[in-house]
Amino acid sequence: MKLRKTKTIEAYIPTASMADIAFLLIVFFMITTVFQVDKTVLTLPASVVRSEVVKGSAFIVVTEDGYIKVSDGKEDTHPIDASDVLSFAVDLMSKDPEQHVVLKADKKVKWHVIDKILEQLEQARVKNLQFLTELKTNNQ
Amino acid sequence: MKIQKEKEQPEIPTASMADIAFLLIVFFMLTTVISATKGIEHLLPQQDKSDTQEVQKEESIYIKINADGTYSVDQKEPRSIRDMAFLKDYVYEKVSRNYKKPIIIHVNPEADYEAMVAVLDTLKQVEEQVAKEGRLPADKGLTISIPTSAELEAWGY
Repeated sequence: MKLRKTKTIEAYIPTASMADIAFLLIVFFMITTVFQVDKTVLTLPASVVRSEVVKGSAFIVVTEDGYIKVSDGKEDTHPIDASDVLSFAVDLMSKDPEQHVVLKADKKVKWHVIDKILEQLEQARVKNLQFLTELKTNNQ
Repeated sequence: MKIQKEKEQPEIPTASMADIAFLLIVFFMLTTVISATKGIEHLLPQQDKSDTQEVQKEESIYIKINADGTYSVDQKEPRSIRDMAFLKDYVYEKVSRNYKKPIIIHVNPEADYEAMVAVLDTLKQVEEQVAKEGRLPADKGLTISIPTSAELEAWGY
């Protein structure tokens, strides 16, 4: 008896779900994307207790030499004078009184520079402030 | 004579869908910064708040940060900013009895910002510990204030 030849199945990779996978990845990246408003490189102070920065927070950057840059959280940071922080903060608070402000300062900055900024923020009635830090490791 | 019309089925081309999707993926991948931006939270004092009270220096935990990288608590001898264990124990002992005890951080204008963050970090660690032990009411924190030099002057420190 002659056996019937077994039917060969064409080998193929299913590509129908490709678009689904792609869109899933898109959604993931869209959600995790944070447009960085500041790219200043400085050495942050270290701390153990840290909490996530609120998305869209305003940034105040202080470099080691005491230069100040600010951003309202939407645009890139731009340099301003130390005495103009008040008007910047007042402007910020008039748009959203609950706006979070992040202070990104170099660890070697002298306190009087920060002190002046805090004073102006208090005057502008900023409520929520966050000191940006990096994670403290044991050898620090 | 009747002309036979061939009916064409209308359709949207979806072959390039995946290409578009991958293009978007590449865009978002490049712009994404999954950098861990984290920091220490601090509530600034509100000038118009009615429940602010005058605090005597003696009633509070008074931490002074000096310009030479040392700190002293309540008139105790100065210690290096690297030696935070003492501060932790000292503050914990006081705060675990009364979480409302005000803590004042007096920073010398010439001190490094790093020193203030180190002290604040230690206080936040104590806060976490006290909260874990259930000695802190929910959504309450320690009373930490970092007065500005103008405020210090006004208070007569």
